[in-house]
Amino acid sequence: MGICYQGKTLKEAVHEKEQLFKDSGYAYGLEKLDLVEGDPAKFMRFQMRLVAACINAREIAKLISANPMSLIQGELLFLLATPEGDVTSASYGLAGHIQSFPFMVRSIADLGFEEDPGINVGDIFATNDTLYGAPHNADNYTWVPIIYGDELIGWTVGLNHIVDVGGLQPGGLGTISASVFTDGFTYPPTKTGANFKQHKWWELHWKRRTRTEAFNVLDDKMRAAGAVALHDRVMEIVEEFGVDYFRQGLREIVERERRVLTQRIKAQAVPGIYHYLVFDSVKYKGVVGKLFASSNRDWLLHKPGEFQVLPDGRLFMDLEGLSSEADFHCNAYESAVRMLCSLGAWPMFAYTATINSSLMYVTDWNLPPGSMFNPQNPFAATVMSLAGVGKYVHMFNHCLSYAYFARGFLEECFPQGAAGGGYGLAGVFADGFRWAGGDMTLITCWSSAALPYRDGDVADNCSANPAPDQGETERAEFLQPTNLNIGRKLVPNYCGHGKFRGGLGIATCQLIVDPGRSLTLAVFGSTGGMGRSATGMAGGYPGVDDIVVLAHDTNIREMLKEGGHYPRDFVEIREWLEEGKLKARSVELYQGSTANIQCKDGDLFANATAARGGWGDPLEREFSLVENDVPDGWLSPDVVRTVYGAVLDDNGKVKVAESNELRQQMRNRRKEKSVDARDWWEKERERVLRKEWCEDVYNMYADVLKYDKFRRQFMGMWQLPEDYGL
Amino acid sequence: MEKRDDRFTKENLKLLVEGKLDWEEVKKAIRLAPKDGDRFWKYLEVLQERVPWKDKILLRISDHLYIVAKEGGGRVVKCDCGQEFGDYRVNWKLSCRVYVRKTREEMAEVVSVEEALPNPDLVEMREFYCPGCFALLGVEVVPAGYPVIFEMLPDLDTFYREWLGKPLADERPDWFQDKTLDMPARWAKEG
Repeated sequence: MGICYQGKTLKEAVHEKEQLFKDSGYAYGLEKLDLVEGDPAKFMRFQMRLVAACINAREIAKLISANPMSLIQGELLFLLATPEGDVTSASYGLAGHIQSFPFMVRSIADLGFEEDPGINVGDIFATNDTLYGAPHNADNYTWVPIIYGDELIGWTVGLNHIVDVGGLQPGGLGTISASVFTDGFTYPPTKTGANFKQHKWWELHWKRRTRTEAFNVLDDKMRAAGAVALHDRVMEIVEEFGVDYFRQGLREIVERERRVLTQRIKAQAVPGIYHYLVFDSVKYKGVVGKLFASSNRDWLLHKPGEFQVLPDGRLFMDLEGLSSEADFHCNAYESAVRMLCSLGAWPMFAYTATINSSLMYVTDWNLPPGSMFNPQNPFAATVMSLAGVGKYVHMFNHCLSYAYFARGFLEECFPQGAAGGGYGLAGVFADGFRWAGGDMTLITCWSSAALPYRDGDVADNCSANPAPDQGETERAEFLQPTNLNIGRKLVPNYCGHGKFRGGLGIATCQLIVDPGRSLTLAVFGSTGGMGRSATGMAGGYPGVDDIVVLAHDTNIREMLKEGGHYPRDFVEIREWLEEGKLKARSVELYQGSTANIQCKDGDLFANATAARGGWGDPLEREFSLVENDVPDGWLSPDVVRTVYGAVLDDNGKVKVAESNELRQQMRNRRKEKSVDARDWWEKERERVLRKEWCEDVYNMYADVLKYDKFRRQFMGMWQLPEDYGL
Repeated sequence: MEKRDDRFTKENLKLLVEGKLDWEEVKKAIRLAPKDGDRFWKYLEVLQERVPWKDKILLRISDHLYIVAKEGGGRVVKCDCGQEFGDYRVNWKLSCRVYVRKTREEMAEVVSVEEALPNPDLVEMREFYCPGCFALLGVEVVPAGYPVIFEMLPDLDTFYREWLGKPLADERPDWFQDKTLDMPARWAKEG
């Protein structure tokens, strides 16, 4: 006798759910929505009560946390799921996680948790293990069964992104790891509490296996308290509506919204095949040395996506050709892919009254075995799986924007490219106190790419967290007193150009003060020296790279004593160094993630991201827009002239005749410099035959040519002999 | 004639296409639920009035590019300047003029912050121009030797028959097939 409805075991219920959809095409086989259609008002009230309960749990529980990411930057979520794991309601916050929880429930069902350790009233379960459904080990899940009588009728869940995972590097988003053994504290699904309370022994794990025990213990209490509070509130709703209504109602939410999503695609898109591509890099050579011999190399990562809008309104994403798994930090499993990529789906079509798992029924993925998103090594490192997957979030934005553009729904276009930066840090103060922290300021405030009718906005959104907030700088400095914020601003000219230009990237600048005995900084970024995506939109240029600059041993302390100004971003650091105003012993520049960097008092740390792409040919930019760019500080006069072909007079007005003449000259230069595609193809083909690539590019091609689909494309494009190989 | 859904008017759509619709009006369009059901037909009208030629537009696929039905048969990609790029099942980029930025200096002409320049050891920047009007139609930032990216192959017959309920007269099963590789195959054969 199982614990689910009609005596089914959890395993039977989970697999029956999957089979019902496969056989009928409806979630839970629900061809008719009796509750929705019978009394829509009652159903809406039921659904809104559930959502309110989730939000209530979040707003109460987050006050237990001391972690700035949860407390002030919105990196948390509380949700309600069916016994089979489908999420039906959720709070504001890290919305994508509703895609992961079904994998966890399937895991514990298949692992036989119902028999051992048992699933009883008041039990608390937890995991952050990617093999069992968590997207990466920084995101920790805590959940409680809802049992009515003897029947499991649902789960309540709390989750958040913790500050430090106890990996090789400080923070929760490491950029170096060779296997799960260097990922940090990773625990498979575990029963961590009973009687609605965590066991005392569980705290010891946070204290001994991570660098930030206080933050992590309080976060754990927050998740558990929120899940329990939500459990209690849901039980009241069950009593009010009746258990039969509750059980059926959760299922109807999923099926009703599945229908909404497919209908929306059919109403706004155009069926067909769309292609998306982005490149990324991993740089371990000379960093990990002999200790991790198989990792002591660099990778250029190939991330293609064939995005199919199917005749029935469903979506199929084929990632064949994706780089292979390797001993690096950014492998991922299907749950991570679905979780993070849903964040591109929400704004494009998956928005409904309540976020829920209906998206699972609308999207299918091909993740080839052996690729970095389907690793066959069970010990593959995944500490930063979301860096690997993050690039695919914007496949939805990119491809559906073209689909909506073609259909005439320009206002629904929202093309984006990879973005996001932050850091982990750990140190020892002068008095010997060991501490650690992390910051995600630049995962809260991305600028957006240009639209087909408008420039991108600035610092207005965040794909990774739909409810973000930069939080208070003072609170961040209280928790991380070594990092004094001296600049947070938009950077002029830092965007992809176009008829409509991308929103300017946002930058931070910090002064390192009094770190004591040591301070280690590990910065993560979203690019690798190849832009934010491999293709621009409709003739616009793609967004440009993230920037990390470390200026060591500067004279900034002396400058501050003299009461002068100080540089506020990486461009100003460079300009001040060139002018001799600022002095530094050495300067490091990265276009994305870094390894560990040792910092000292007086160092400057500048970071920037989200310089998004443009739309359309820059030479078609309206002069009236150009006239606003310069006085508003978005673009400098030289860029306006050389990129946009606009000449300004002393009052900032466009000299129309002169500008039109300049634009014509620029088009003439395009004619002179360019060649027919066929001539270009012949020369490019010769390069391919000569295999003239640097080591990283050569290795990338050698790897992905193993996959049939890409090989066919590559061989066909260049008409290569059958025995061509690398 | 079917009744117009003027909750979003053709006039506003025209302004939206031109990038001149007031932001408050755009927001109303974003909030419109359900969307105006005749949007695509209004869009075709607006687009057809903007181009100087008479070929019937089947679909707009980029700022300047349209798939059009030719009178004598065939569906081809056409620029608003009148330049034709051939069968829409073949990537139109292979009918463009191409310029490749390979050095930092060349890329710096269009990437305006030096720290953010792409790494020329890893990637090059390809620009695809219309051979007729030399509008910039596409940009790729890819390693040398990367196959040209076919951004969009619409399933036109499914779209018109099943989604719009107005099938095209020249329906054929092979309209939804990527024929791009036929072109380099032909080039190789011709030598």
